[in-house]
Amino acid sequence: MKKAFTVAKWEFFEKIKSKAFIISLFLTPAIIILFSVLPTLLATKESDSTKAVGILDLTQKYFSEYKSEIEQYKIGGNIPAYAILNNYKEDLSPDSLIKHADQMVIENRIDGYILIRQDAEDSIKVEYRSKSIGNFQDVARFEEAFNNLRIKRKLIEENANPALVEFIKNKVNVNQIKIEKPGEEGKGGFESVFFSSVIFILLLMMMIIYSGQMLVRSMLEEKSNRLIEILISSCTPKDLLFGKVFGLSALGLTQIFVWLVIGISLIGAAIIPMNAFENIHLIFIYFILGFVFYTTLFVGVGSIVSTEQEAQQITSYLSLLLVLPTVFIISALQNPESTIIKVLSYIPFTLPSVMILRVNVSPIPLWEIATTFLIMILSVIIVVNVSAKIFRFGILYYGKMPTLNEIKSWLKE
Amino acid sequence: MLEVKNLVKTYGNITAVDNLSFTAKPGKIFGMLGPNGAGKTTTIRTILNIIKPNSCEVLLNQRPVTKDLFNSIGYLPEERGLYKKSKVNDVITYLANLKGMHGHTIKAELNKWLTKLEITHYKERKIEELSKGNQQKIQFISAVIHNPLLLILDEPFSGFDPINQQLIKDVILDLLDNGKIIILSTHQMDTAEKLCSEILLINEGKEVLSGELSEIKKKFGGNHVKFGYEGDIKFLNEMDEVISFDIYSNTAEVHLKDEVKPELFLKKIIEKVLIKHFSVIEPSLNKIFIDSIKNQKI
Repeated sequence: MKKAFTVAKWEFFEKIKSKAFIISLFLTPAIIILFSVLPTLLATKESDSTKAVGILDLTQKYFSEYKSEIEQYKIGGNIPAYAILNNYKEDLSPDSLIKHADQMVIENRIDGYILIRQDAEDSIKVEYRSKSIGNFQDVARFEEAFNNLRIKRKLIEENANPALVEFIKNKVNVNQIKIEKPGEEGKGGFESVFFSSVIFILLLMMMIIYSGQMLVRSMLEEKSNRLIEILISSCTPKDLLFGKVFGLSALGLTQIFVWLVIGISLIGAAIIPMNAFENIHLIFIYFILGFVFYTTLFVGVGSIVSTEQEAQQITSYLSLLLVLPTVFIISALQNPESTIIKVLSYIPFTLPSVMILRVNVSPIPLWEIATTFLIMILSVIIVVNVSAKIFRFGILYYGKMPTLNEIKSWLKE
Repeated sequence: MLEVKNLVKTYGNITAVDNLSFTAKPGKIFGMLGPNGAGKTTTIRTILNIIKPNSCEVLLNQRPVTKDLFNSIGYLPEERGLYKKSKVNDVITYLANLKGMHGHTIKAELNKWLTKLEITHYKERKIEELSKGNQQKIQFISAVIHNPLLLILDEPFSGFDPINQQLIKDVILDLLDNGKIIILSTHQMDTAEKLCSEILLINEGKEVLSGELSEIKKKFGGNHVKFGYEGDIKFLNEMDEVISFDIYSNTAEVHLKDEVKPELFLKKIIEKVLIKHFSVIEPSLNKIFIDSIKNQKI
């Protein structure tokens, strides 16, 4: 075991010094942030400048009231979100008015305009016409403002109490609350749960794939220059295997630590919601177990390759297995109790990532946590033993990849 | 003393080593010779416990070689290579650590060896920045730094220029004075002849010849002459006195029938070709090697 420690120390310090590692250490979180935080940020970010919006009211009934209704939306302090322009002119026909307003949009003189007209059945039709569609926030506001206006008018027409008008304007929204224990509310809706689960699963996957590839490549080097013979005549294959797994796990922990520091400083900057770290202890255990499981698997399976191409093939197959659970992320979030998710959370290959997801979505009974831990620990022990046996022969195996029958005979010895 | 008893190793249907036994004594260099694919590397790997033989007993000073003895064994594999991206100092320290050495001893020994092999200034350089010969020196150091009881050298001279070959040769002979067991595997017969006092010649996994080199020479063959000449000596083919001969550039080594007197043979050839020198010799290891392998094939 002492020699395993020597191997671990070597693997750790040699890798941590390498440029590739240092780059990945900072590049990975940067990529994750780019892919997960940025879209959320951009989607919810309110525009910070006043938009010029025209109103073309062909019915000539709504303009002034509608304008004041829309102008109630502000950005920041007291700056109106929209500057309203009247596109209606007396002496022009409706068709040429529309054409003229369209022209203004095309020439970027206004961001868009609201067209109000009466159709054949005498009902009111409202359109927001602009170059880009998809600005949900603007459309939702225009809709709300117009409906407020209509309701207000009708109520006044019917001589209703003005207080009633105010009452109707105040809408009630339905909020989603996650319950963890009776009387204890979880924070965060669908988005933040999705976000925090995905970030951990992504981290796990990237770390495993990255360190797995690093591991297989370094073994390939040792194999191709026969250093392995010196190593194996200095320590036992088991020492070497454990050393490599320990060294890489330590490397992985260092990585997580750096990433956590980055993450916490991002929370400080209020970019990541705090509740992403609510079940951190459980997530951490699943994370480590998953990492050790896959790393050991990589060492065993990786030991049989003897060319760069084979190494690439094998690492990509293993990585595929690892990435598989991401297909179920959405369905797990919507229905964490479904059979397929339950089944996947008992298969060692998918268990860690599925459980990280489930822990975040809904409370999990203690017995299930205990069972999954047990499954994972048992699987790690099995994989360590199987890998050690394959490793023993694999590292001295050159030329074509061994057949399944050959590997079977190795396992029997 | 290293004893290898009844070593058998098969790979599927192929028998790599077939019932091989030998003993290497301390203070002497034991030469393991044989053509390519004879089973030398397999034998070495078995001694090192790298591969499991079908049957064999390996004893180093009466103790079976297991992981407890790993620290007493040094090995220089034929195919060389080290961690290219790492520093000389780090790589040797790591490998010495794996052989059970510790911090300050490693430092002292490392400096001693770097000085001995005249490469002190490369200590902080990366392996990949060194020439092939200097990389080999680093590997040599990692095989001997822990002062092993048993040292196995597989083609230690390949890749070195004549000056460095001499340097390594001297170092190996130095190590011998300390009572080490050294196994030298090579197909360079002239080096083996100069260094080894005992040899084991194997071919196709079987022992062909073994024993003290001087004994083998005596046993192998009585009547050998060597001469330098100018001209054509094809006539040797037709002479009844000749059993076999080898021609090097303008010298010939001839194995004569036992009853033939060398001086009479000289008289005969002196009429046919210009002789520059003539001597009665023991057969060279090279000739023993070639003849033995050929005879075995017949």
